[in-house]
Amino acid sequence: MSADQGSQIVNKKLWHGVYRTQLSWYPTINDDACTGCGLCLLTCGNSVFKWNLQEGMPLVASPQKCVLGCTTCGKVCPDGAISFPENPATFIRNVIVKYKVYPKVKEDLNEGLAKFPDHLVDSHGGDKNGK
Amino acid sequence: MEETKMASEFAVWHGINRSEINWHPIIDPNKCTGCGLCVVTCGEKRNVFGYDLQAHKAVVLYPDNCMVGCNNCQVSCLWNAITYPEDVDYIKGLARNIEKETIDKELANKLSKNPDLIL
Ligand code: SF4
Ligand code: SF4
Ligand code: SF4
Ligand code: SF4
Repeated sequence: MSADQGSQIVNKKLWHGVYRTQLSWYPTINDDACTGCGLCLLTCGNSVFKWNLQEGMPLVASPQKCVLGCTTCGKVCPDGAISFPENPATFIRNVIVKYKVYPKVKEDLNEGLAKFPDHLVDSHGGDKNGK
Repeated sequence: MEETKMASEFAVWHGINRSEINWHPIIDPNKCTGCGLCVVTCGEKRNVFGYDLQAHKAVVLYPDNCMVGCNNCQVSCLWNAITYPEDVDYIKGLARNIEKETIDKELANKLSKNPDLIL
């Protein structure tokens, strides 16, 4: 098992109420710089890449499966062959502002904490991380 | 607050012990507004964060479950409350140190388990 990028939310096609299909975020491979090591495909848990066996090279097969604002494959690529449409923080900031996601984030947070109560930290009780 | 509980599936990163890799978010509690976006951005599988309802702040609970090279929670934080102990060059350095045979083996393994990823 290699890795996931966290956001199960994206697999539901919604990012805190925003349709993933309305947004454009994906990696681009510079084939001249890529040495075909395969680390990007191993890193991505979202099946964004496919592997061209003949060429021994990855390709971006499912850009719409890429996690919004993720640049993990780009950071691990030893040859700096992967780029993104824009600065990820700027991209996410614009989405947050345009679609006003925080009320939905709060709902998602409460759902998550109900599902994983061990992630509820009680700073006053001092059992976990308490001070 | 370095409580360390690591899911075993994340214990080794391409042949390197995860515990030897210095990559996880750090929250500045003075900047954190408690919006919660980092918590839900991280998702259910790695689930690095906890949330303190009393203090109204996110907390890093399981730093070693953090995906090496990921900073998705950081880019989602409008208050710039999240940092990492190292930078992108550190990640690239780690990636360059992975044994080629390790990646080749893992790649062959992933492709045989997921033939739909082969073109
Ligand atoms: S990680 Fe970079 S160099 Fe390696 S296969 Fe992917 S794009 Fe090419
Ligand atoms: S940025 Fe890369 S690793 Fe992250 S989801 Fe997109 S393709 Fe996968
Ligand atoms: S995204 Fe930033 S402000 Fe919001 S809870 Fe996380 S650390 Fe705090
Ligand atoms: S960097 Fe990624 S894996 Fe690590 S805590 Fe943030 S969202 Fe989770």
